[in-house]
Amino acid sequence: MSKLLVVFKREYTQVVKRKAFIVGIFLTPALMAAFTIIPALLFQSKSNKSVSLAIIDQSGMEIGNKFEASLKKYKIENSDKPYYIVKNIFTLDTNETKRFQHINDSLSQLIVNKKLKYYLVIKPEAYFIDTNIYLVTNAENFVTLNRFEKNLSNILSTIRLEMSHVNLNVDSILTLTKKLDLKTKDAKGNMIPFTVKYFSAYVFVGIMFGIIFGYGQLVMRSVIEEKNSRVMEVLVSSVSPFQLMLGKITGLGAATLTQIFIWFVIGMGIYFMKSTFDFNPAVDRIIFNPVIIIFFILFLVSGYILYSTIFALIGSVVNSEKEAQNFIFPITILMILPFMIGAYIVQEPNSTISVTLSMIPFLTPTIMMMRVIFIAPTLTSYSLFSGIIGEAMIGFFLIVLSIVIMIWLTSKIFRVGILMYGKRPTLPEIIKWIKY
Amino acid sequence: MYLKLDNIRKEFSGKVAVNNLSLEVPRGVIYGIIGPNGAGKTTTIRMIMNITVPDSGKILIDDQSVKDDFKNQVGYLPEERGLYKKMTLEDILIYIAALKNYPSNKAKKNIDYWLTRVELEKYKYKKVEELSKGMQQKLQFISTILHEPDLIILDELFSGLDPLNIELIKDIILELKRSGKTILFSTHVMEQAEKLCDYICMISRGEKVIDGRLSEVKAQFGKNSIQLEIDGDGQFVATIPGVKKMVEFNNYIELQLDDKSDTNAILKKIIEKVTVKRFDIVEPSLYDIFIDMAQVPVDKINKPEGSNHV
Repeated sequence: MSKLLVVFKREYTQVVKRKAFIVGIFLTPALMAAFTIIPALLFQSKSNKSVSLAIIDQSGMEIGNKFEASLKKYKIENSDKPYYIVKNIFTLDTNETKRFQHINDSLSQLIVNKKLKYYLVIKPEAYFIDTNIYLVTNAENFVTLNRFEKNLSNILSTIRLEMSHVNLNVDSILTLTKKLDLKTKDAKGNMIPFTVKYFSAYVFVGIMFGIIFGYGQLVMRSVIEEKNSRVMEVLVSSVSPFQLMLGKITGLGAATLTQIFIWFVIGMGIYFMKSTFDFNPAVDRIIFNPVIIIFFILFLVSGYILYSTIFALIGSVVNSEKEAQNFIFPITILMILPFMIGAYIVQEPNSTISVTLSMIPFLTPTIMMMRVIFIAPTLTSYSLFSGIIGEAMIGFFLIVLSIVIMIWLTSKIFRVGILMYGKRPTLPEIIKWIKY
Repeated sequence: MYLKLDNIRKEFSGKVAVNNLSLEVPRGVIYGIIGPNGAGKTTTIRMIMNITVPDSGKILIDDQSVKDDFKNQVGYLPEERGLYKKMTLEDILIYIAALKNYPSNKAKKNIDYWLTRVELEKYKYKKVEELSKGMQQKLQFISTILHEPDLIILDELFSGLDPLNIELIKDIILELKRSGKTILFSTHVMEQAEKLCDYICMISRGEKVIDGRLSEVKAQFGKNSIQLEIDGDGQFVATIPGVKKMVEFNNYIELQLDDKSDTNAILKKIIEKVTVKRFDIVEPSLYDIFIDMAQVPVDKINKPEGSNHV
């Protein structure tokens, strides 16, 4: 049996036997899902408690009362109770500035003391001066703000229409002038909402990050452990450092592939039984898109090899994980960058900046993947040499090229570094090792 | 000649670790590389193992340059010891043997024999971390010889072993030699080499001081010396005619004599003044030879303890 295989087998079984591995198989997707779903849920969360508000109406046009009436249609979920409770409407004359001041002050106090959630101020001539209506609150809520805005707009429009004496039924005018809610469709006529693509991109890239970073560090830790326990010298008296390094990287890599294979099997199971699930067709088109799956696996494997080679390099030059932290920091930045600029990439997946960044080998697995997720589902024809697939192929080729260079460089440093105990080498010393 | 080092040299960032070192190890002998800490022993051994590459010079096995599968025929015990803490004794022994291309079914048979031999059979399925330090040393020693290597290289073999285990390992080494294996070991403790070796090579500051068959080295050095244990103050002994040099140890005195001095006459002079408990005429110890030849500061090497009978 080739020695590479012996090392491979040990590294593989050491990982697969661990409890953490089995837990990880199920926990990672769960965590990823939680990461993306929980914020979405929080965003949409509907309270089952009613919200109290007050209104100061100086308009003289009963805007306050009309507004109160318009809020009656909002109920607490699964009940008949109103969601908004208008505690009081203070109807004032236009010139009652002193009384306005007094009420305004006491309502402010109630807001501060959290006795009241909102109060709406409608000043004179609000029907044509927008700034004369405003809402006072300490806790802005996206949904509530939207509802108030819509209802107040309707009320004001009605007043304006009535005042302009247009000879048409007010309701039909409101229907005629109804605002458009613009939705997007792709070239195939399918519609994948932006949020679905956005969250999928983050899930895929998140898994990529987790595996590359997690298993890459495992390679590093394994090298450090062998240095610290001094078993390293026994190993290199039997196998070449290059075989040892390759055995480690492939052994741990095979463990990640096992993990992904299990996910793939679970995924296929879901795919074939998907009629029994209530599947969002948009999610379906992303998760079960062959282009996305193929590039996900290509980038995951190549990205893992690239990064784990670097981690093996780090492991060989340091003496402890603490020392390694300094080296890991820049790598962490490289890996986290896509999360920071992801919002830009997904909005402009084809801009020069996005394309350029996605061609940098260290960023390709994450940024190119984001672009693939955003563009691939909209493709009408598939070509290996153009469009996003062509670009992703170039990205993949560049990663492979970098892997070759990195392995060459690492193997030079690795064989010296693994037998250096004690002092952490300086960069000039490390460069010298390449020439040994 | 089985193993031959021809003029090897190694520098580490300008510092010469090994300089023009040549030595010849015949098959089936115990060969000791002796020298103080930092003399270049470990570097030499690492070069034999092809872990580090010499800057110049050649290393030959049976007059041919070292090939890749050479590593499979060598058992190597490094100075810095350690094994995977989380593996069981059986697993790690099979793994290390597999790294030498040794089939696992044969390894399993040998494991039972050797574990029993070093009294670790009860721990076969225990993890390495559950063993005491001394037990781990024994385990590592058998991991070195399990795959039946032709050449066994032991760097600072006895460091970290208690006297009982030293005896046990010595017995095994002598047994291995009888079965035709070649054993090369390094130590900075001269007496151990003296007790075990057929051949020696002394090195100091990266250079060879003297080498050859132990008996020949001693004969070449020639002069005998006297070891003396007395009651009372022995300072006067140094002034007796015929005594060239006196070295005081913890519990005895060693005298180096002029070439033609009469040992009987010297003994007579001594009993006139003090009671003699022991009077031995001995061959020169490796320690004496080393001090004489290498001219290194005495505190750099370990003084032998107790007497030095050969």
